[in-house]
Amino acid sequence: MANMSKKWIVLCTAAIATVYAAGYWDTESQATIPNAAADDQVLQAASSEPSINNTYKDGIYSGTGMNRRGSIQVTITIEQDRIMDVEISDFAMHYSESDIVGLPDEVTQSQSATVDNVSGATYSTAAFEDAVQDALAQAAIH
Amino acid sequence: MKTGQWLKSPKGQLTSILAVNLILAVGASRDWKGILIAGVAVAFAVLTDILIGSIKKRKRMVPDGAVITGLILASVMGTHTSWTIAAAMTMIAIASKHLIAHKKKPVFNPAVVGLLLAIPLFHAEQSWWGAFGDSPAWTIALLVAEGYWITNRVRKFPQAFSFFGTYFLIMLVMGMFHVGDASDAWRAPFINGALFFGFFMMTDPPTSPAKAMDQVIYGVIIGTAGAVVYSIFGGLIYFFIGQLAGNLYYFLKVRWPNHKKQTRQPVNFQKRSSL
Repeated sequence: MANMSKKWIVLCTAAIATVYAAGYWDTESQATIPNAAADDQVLQAASSEPSINNTYKDGIYSGTGMNRRGSIQVTITIEQDRIMDVEISDFAMHYSESDIVGLPDEVTQSQSATVDNVSGATYSTAAFEDAVQDALAQAAIH
Repeated sequence: MKTGQWLKSPKGQLTSILAVNLILAVGASRDWKGILIAGVAVAFAVLTDILIGSIKKRKRMVPDGAVITGLILASVMGTHTSWTIAAAMTMIAIASKHLIAHKKKPVFNPAVVGLLLAIPLFHAEQSWWGAFGDSPAWTIALLVAEGYWITNRVRKFPQAFSFFGTYFLIMLVMGMFHVGDASDAWRAPFINGALFFGFFMMTDPPTSPAKAMDQVIYGVIIGTAGAVVYSIFGGLIYFFIGQLAGNLYYFLKVRWPNHKKQTRQPVNFQKRSSL
């Protein structure tokens, strides 16, 4: 069996901690969670005034959802107060994108950001819902 | 073995640490499904171990190793995993322990086999919640302290240091050249996963080497394979692939040649005649 002296344990710990600190510090700018509000935008908004009974303004809106396992950006198209199209424009989760490929259709059918949880893709589902909610918030008539 | 003796043994202490961590993680996240998942995983691990043990007519039927495998699986799989998938994953892990074995010892880390096969078979996800993947940052310090304690008890510091050194160095270079998602590797929940894997999974005594130099090579292989898989494919299976590569090295370079040497050794007639 392999015994290690305390001196070597301390030395190895210090060396590994130094590499860890260097790696953490070096990637600080890459890891900074992007400001969702800054990234999200109204890509195209209708020039005409919406009806007073409408919930959303016509146009194309982008929204982001993120958690500790990555982020998802979606683009939604609103026409005549309805969600006509949802696209996953950026998928940066640590899981497979194919897990949630059916969720955009679910949103257009239910006309809601709330979707059924996909088994084996809980974190991706949550990020997707947040992204749609974020885009809808921009489209909402306040 | 009495309860007091078992609690002082490395297996008893690892079981206690994993169980306490799961309770703390559930408390921190308020996700009570974790308790259900842990219960299912441990129960099915024990049942499968006893069932296969009785079929193979094993004399020793204490499923203490199966409890650890169940707790490790519960710590890594997502808390939203259905209980049927958790049970199936656990049964695969325990079956691999008995079926992919050499001289009654598993070739591959059973928990890793279960977790890896559950991805294509059941579409299972990993969250490393029992490694405090969704808990406050201070829990990482607790994970490190527990990891040092267990690694010292099983005398696996050479492999733990060679793994962390290799893995972190490759991730540092990747970060400097903006390759892959290197920035995530240094942060929760991925750093939690690395610590949990390096201290509690890689150090499994039956599937990891005992000698210092073998341990160092084993750690370097797992760290390199894991980091390379992460940089090319991303995802969450990189540690599992690394672990299988390390297990294969240990089996082919250490266990199998040692077994062949022992079987080829001539019988010591002089010693026998003196008996």
